[in-house]
Amino acid sequence: MTEARRSIFSRLVGGAILLSLALLAGLWWLTHQTVSATLQEAAQTEVDVDLAGLADIYATGGQEELEVRIADRLALTPMEGSAPHYLLADDSGKVIAGDLAGWPSLDPTVSESGVIAIGASSKGYARAVQLGPDLRLVVARTTDIEAPVLSGITTAFAAGGAVFILLVGLLGRFAALGLQRRIERINLAFREPQDGSGLAVARRNGGDEIDELTAHSAAALARMGDLMAAYKDTSEQLAHEIRTPLSHLDNRLVKALAENPDRAIAERLAEARGEIRRIVQTLESLLDIAASKAKRGDRSGLAPVDLSALVTAICELYAGSAEEAALELDWTVAPDVTINGDESQLRRLVTNMLDNALKYVPPGGRIAITLEPGPVLAVADDGPGIDPRDRDRIFERFYRGRTAGRETSGSGLGLALAHAIAERHGLKITLDDPVSDGSGGAVFRIATEA
Amino acid sequence: MRILYVEDDPRSAAAVGEILAQSGDVLVWEDNGSAALLRAGLEPFDAIILDRMLGDIDGLTITRRMREGGIGTPILILSALGRSSDRAEGLDTGADDYLAKPFEPEELVARLRALHRRSTGREHSAVILYGAFECHVKARTAFRDNRHLPLSPKEFELFRYFMENAGEVVTREMLLRHVWKMDFDPQTNVVDVNIGRLRRKLEDGFERQALETILGSGYRLLEGRA
Repeated sequence: MTEARRSIFSRLVGGAILLSLALLAGLWWLTHQTVSATLQEAAQTEVDVDLAGLADIYATGGQEELEVRIADRLALTPMEGSAPHYLLADDSGKVIAGDLAGWPSLDPTVSESGVIAIGASSKGYARAVQLGPDLRLVVARTTDIEAPVLSGITTAFAAGGAVFILLVGLLGRFAALGLQRRIERINLAFREPQDGSGLAVARRNGGDEIDELTAHSAAALARMGDLMAAYKDTSEQLAHEIRTPLSHLDNRLVKALAENPDRAIAERLAEARGEIRRIVQTLESLLDIAASKAKRGDRSGLAPVDLSALVTAICELYAGSAEEAALELDWTVAPDVTINGDESQLRRLVTNMLDNALKYVPPGGRIAITLEPGPVLAVADDGPGIDPRDRDRIFERFYRGRTAGRETSGSGLGLALAHAIAERHGLKITLDDPVSDGSGGAVFRIATEA
Repeated sequence: MRILYVEDDPRSAAAVGEILAQSGDVLVWEDNGSAALLRAGLEPFDAIILDRMLGDIDGLTITRRMREGGIGTPILILSALGRSSDRAEGLDTGADDYLAKPFEPEELVARLRALHRRSTGREHSAVILYGAFECHVKARTAFRDNRHLPLSPKEFELFRYFMENAGEVVTREMLLRHVWKMDFDPQTNVVDVNIGRLRRKLEDGFERQALETILGSGYRLLEGRA
């Protein structure tokens, strides 16, 4: 559960890595564009300066001087920057001097400039000018240096970036682990409230927000523990202080019964003992309801229960009683329906639902139990149904429906206890809307809370 | 039977003393846990009855200590804490049975008898014989006077429980707990009805009664001999 869960910390670290990657990529692109533009500009400046010089030479020394100078410049290998290329041609494009193979597609009359192919594999920046009526010149500089520079930059960014991302990841993970451990302690304390004492320790982090949360959690857990202990003590004392005197009273009645042969008196005494039993049952049901309500949402102590087997066994147990009451009891139970629960309480829940149905459906009626995966347990009958005014209140303690005759026995706690047990298991008991044809009947449906 | 009773309320102790005197058992009473622990370690008892809420050590702790100390005597907890969860707690701790106050005197006696019988190992045989009845535990078949009784699986379990406690009173609560795993008594008369059905199957075609109803406390299997 802890491992598979989407941790906020892994998401934070992941986010930091993604953000770093995006920033690095942006920075790389910017550097790449700037360097590329700078190199282009440098080549343009060199070409233009060179061209101006050569135009000067032509003006002062004429075409022959120009040819000599071009040959001189081609003979020199530059120490830095890129190698120059020239082409001096007549107006028809016939080569007079220079090393370029043919006239590029640049118009000398407008001093057009652009990127041209130089040789087989190189490219460069070039400008063409018209020197005289039948003389034109192209000066070019290769921009080959751009590619290695840019790839160098890319490599540097890739290597540096990898180290950077790794560091971000590691530092992030390290920080996250620390935080995660602190948060996990709080979560653990809430998951296992019984061992929650571990939270009340020193503030190791100088009282930051998580320390505050830890302190609040510890206080809340301690209070919850105190409340549960007080609740348990009170209910145990209540049970003890009521059951013990009732037990003494019952003993006296038993003795009186044994000593008194008078039938009329014996009957009264037996009735009195019955009353004692009812008081005890009411007390027990009330305490059970309180305990179930207190444990609502608390999944500890629950184990997988074979609901299919449980429902089948209870239906079989009730079959004879239903038959004797002239009721038809049918059950349709899907196999292998399980639930995490308290088996004894679940048995009580199903039993109370059946007790309720058997109590209110008149002879000749029908009760149908259906268990489906989900789990969904439906208890349907064709009895008098529930008065609309009672629908919202039948699960309340001591509430007896209007359709319940005076002769109907019971504590008025059966459905309230069933309701509390259902809630403790994350289930909800609902009553289907009455069918419009007025045929009556009641359908109780127990299913997972939406 | 010789029984140790640990109870800090003298009136409860006196009441239980009277009940057990009537059933012909010997009761040894201790009013605190420490003395009881000491005594249980020194003297042999057939069963121990423990109250839960004692002045010094509570009944559950006594149970745990006795079990840890190797005392295997059957323990019945007799307590004012009678909710299902209280019962489950007691049985989980190592007690063999749990009875809530107030109780029927016959119930206490029946439970003690059943505990004693279980601890002396009479119930583990493959075939249980009693009077005219035979219960083949493994084959899950039942006979009366060598005639096969057509019992349903649940009826067989009910019959088997009666055979294991043959001749003794079996109470409704005992049946609910051992046969249907219920630690409460449903409002509907399910036990009576199921017993009625078993009774018909045990008695159909025979002259003598097989199951006796003991008013207010439970049922007893009879020998059923012609």
